Amino acid sequence: MIRTLPNSEAGVSRALDLLRTPNTRLVSIFGSTDDSGGRHVHYLVDVNGREYRMLTSPVTGPIPSATPITPAAAWYERELHDQYGIECDGHPDPRPLLFHENWPENVHPMIDNASHVPWTSTEGRYRFLKVQGDGVCEVPVGPIHAGIIEPGHFRFSVVGDTVLHLELRHFYTHKGTEKLFENTPVMDGVMIAESVSGDNCFSHAVAYCQAIESAFGISVPPRAQAIRLIGLELERMIGHIADVGALCGDVAFSVPSAYTARIKETLLRASTRFFGTRFWRGIAVPGGITRDLSNAETTGFSRLVTAAARDFAQMARLILHTSSIQNRFESTGILTAEIASQLGVVGPVARASGIRLDVRCDHPSGRYRHIKVDIPLYKYGDVLARARIRIDETAISMGLIDETLKELPAGSVLVPVPLSGNSEALSAVESPRGELLYWVRIRDGKIARCHIKSPSFQNWPALPLAMPGNIIADFPLINKSFNLSYSGCDR
Amino acid sequence: MIGDVVERSLRSPKVLISVSELFSNAAGSRMPEVLPDLLTVEISRSVVAACPTSALQVDEAAGRTHLILNYGECIGCTRCIAAGNGAFRYAERVARCGVRKEALIRRWDIQSRAEVVQDDLVLSQAAERIRSLVGRALNIRQVDAGSCNGCEGEIVALTNPYYDLERFGIHFVASPKHADMLLVTGPVTRNMAAALKHSYDAVPSPKLVVAVGACGCSGGIFEGSHAVVGPVDAVIPVDGYIPGCPPTPSMLLTGIVQVLSPSLSPPRRRK
Repeated sequence: MIRTLPNSEAGVSRALDLLRTPNTRLVSIFGSTDDSGGRHVHYLVDVNGREYRMLTSPVTGPIPSATPITPAAAWYERELHDQYGIECDGHPDPRPLLFHENWPENVHPMIDNASHVPWTSTEGRYRFLKVQGDGVCEVPVGPIHAGIIEPGHFRFSVVGDTVLHLELRHFYTHKGTEKLFENTPVMDGVMIAESVSGDNCFSHAVAYCQAIESAFGISVPPRAQAIRLIGLELERMIGHIADVGALCGDVAFSVPSAYTARIKETLLRASTRFFGTRFWRGIAVPGGITRDLSNAETTGFSRLVTAAARDFAQMARLILHTSSIQNRFESTGILTAEIASQLGVVGPVARASGIRLDVRCDHPSGRYRHIKVDIPLYKYGDVLARARIRIDETAISMGLIDETLKELPAGSVLVPVPLSGNSEALSAVESPRGELLYWVRIRDGKIARCHIKSPSFQNWPALPLAMPGNIIADFPLINKSFNLSYSGCDR
Repeated sequence: MIGDVVERSLRSPKVLISVSELFSNAAGSRMPEVLPDLLTVEISRSVVAACPTSALQVDEAAGRTHLILNYGECIGCTRCIAAGNGAFRYAERVARCGVRKEALIRRWDIQSRAEVVQDDLVLSQAAERIRSLVGRALNIRQVDAGSCNGCEGEIVALTNPYYDLERFGIHFVASPKHADMLLVTGPVTRNMAAALKHSYDAVPSPKLVVAVGACGCSGGIFEGSHAVVGPVDAVIPVDGYIPGCPPTPSMLLTGIVQVLSPSLSPPRRRK
């Protein structure tokens, strides 16, 4: 469990020095205000893939940008400016990120009263990068897309079918979630966490709960830890199965697309039958979980999950042996290991590009501290590699669930949490999309600040770099192979 | 090989759920249900205190004490079930899907331990006129106006072999210009308000709008955020509401079908 962090008034330059050293990875940059309203900047860095280190510094004026050192900092610093009005000197792209044209300049919701911000002009002022030359066309797509998916804007510059450049414009679903956490009682915050990214709601809930628990130094009963692991792995299975099906759907191979949708539904129905909820909402609370399994239920649940995973594995093998799938997936949307590591990419996308990052191994918490998790790795970084990672991980998750259900510890599943007190803590979970972190500061039993580092926020900037040279018709496929959450990114 | 994929799929058992089993089924939605016989003033106060949104309220008008449950604000946290001392349980059926906003609200008189039933619970008159026009061939354009994607997951599930929305003649289409109905999720964010309005304007008349989920009905957990405009009806007119966080596929289907076919609306009960 991540309990105490080496946290110091370090000065931004010390943080930047740390980022310059080899074997460090920028995890997040975020702001906070202290009890007297002074602004602080926090740099969260993974050192040697084994230790999260946080460096904190008070801010009075502009600070030097970390983006020239590591491009992974680019969006974090833009968010820092939008939320706290902190200028980052030397940032190559200081455009607003969270707010669109309707938001007045110089209103920063984390430090200003933003409850009744007036609307300003909605005329377009946003400056997209212009690609010029003979035959270059711009194709704007979104925010509303053709399918049943979340909103976001994509601006393609193409010559014929070939994409030269893709620029993202997101944050259409920005809901001010981090601000919404402020002054929420610790027990209620989990409901906001569950609504950050609906399909990964259990990962968000567990990450939030672990942060609260480690802030108060509570240890969760082993049985609750085990059931949390089952929920996390089930969420990963459901997400990965749906992704593989959607990839087939995007190349018009509708039979496996419908078949995997069916397998996904059997797992959601199993969750309903045994846990009373399709997406495990309301199960994780600070202190443990709200629903236990009887011995008979354990066997029944295990049988359903195992059968679904085997069914999927057999179908997945047939899918990968289909020549039209190989033709569309192979060498499409390559994300090189070099670009992926510069942008700090995490999760299945990183593992498909040969970067071995997984919170379950690198920074284990809860029951993951006592078990070994196999991490599949592919190096090609194309759509096929990202599909294979998901197929392999589904089988591994099924194994973890089965193993845990067989050795479910006895005892209670919930311990009380103090409803007052001051503390702060960090917690990390490997969500289906990758490294998810919650950092909370608690004042008098209420959340004073909650920062969410979502894997989608980290991975979205990498998508445009997998596009150049591909044809625009392959974009839905490449986008789906990343499968990033818009709401998880926009928050 | 491609043939193997098809063969395996053909060999799989049929999973389609019958209409009667689906209709208003709320399993897995975590929506609460009130057992009025067990309701007391004390229980009402404790569930109101436990409710994180304002879904539960006590109304003391004209000397009577009423407990109000607004399904449109309920995020299914189940705290009322824990605090309700037996007077609250998981709902097996929620029929209030695809209804007028007022019909999302149920009200019990605590002294007489009986539900206060309002008249004309189901739909607006405009919706009644429109459904006679579209009959049973409905094209839906789904718009995410800022949701957490929980509702999207369940809307996509409507097309899977368990629910198979197409058996009702209902399709999801790619453009609002092809749509009869907008199915809108999410609290409408500042950044999506203009796009939602443009989509609404692009749907040819007559058109239906259905607001989906606690966020779409009331703003849900995001109510009051600086980045959120409000529920769907803060931006465009809404004909029917489907509560839930997220609503299950069966609740969504109930809502969509209920907006469409008057014969399937639940019978009005009179006190």
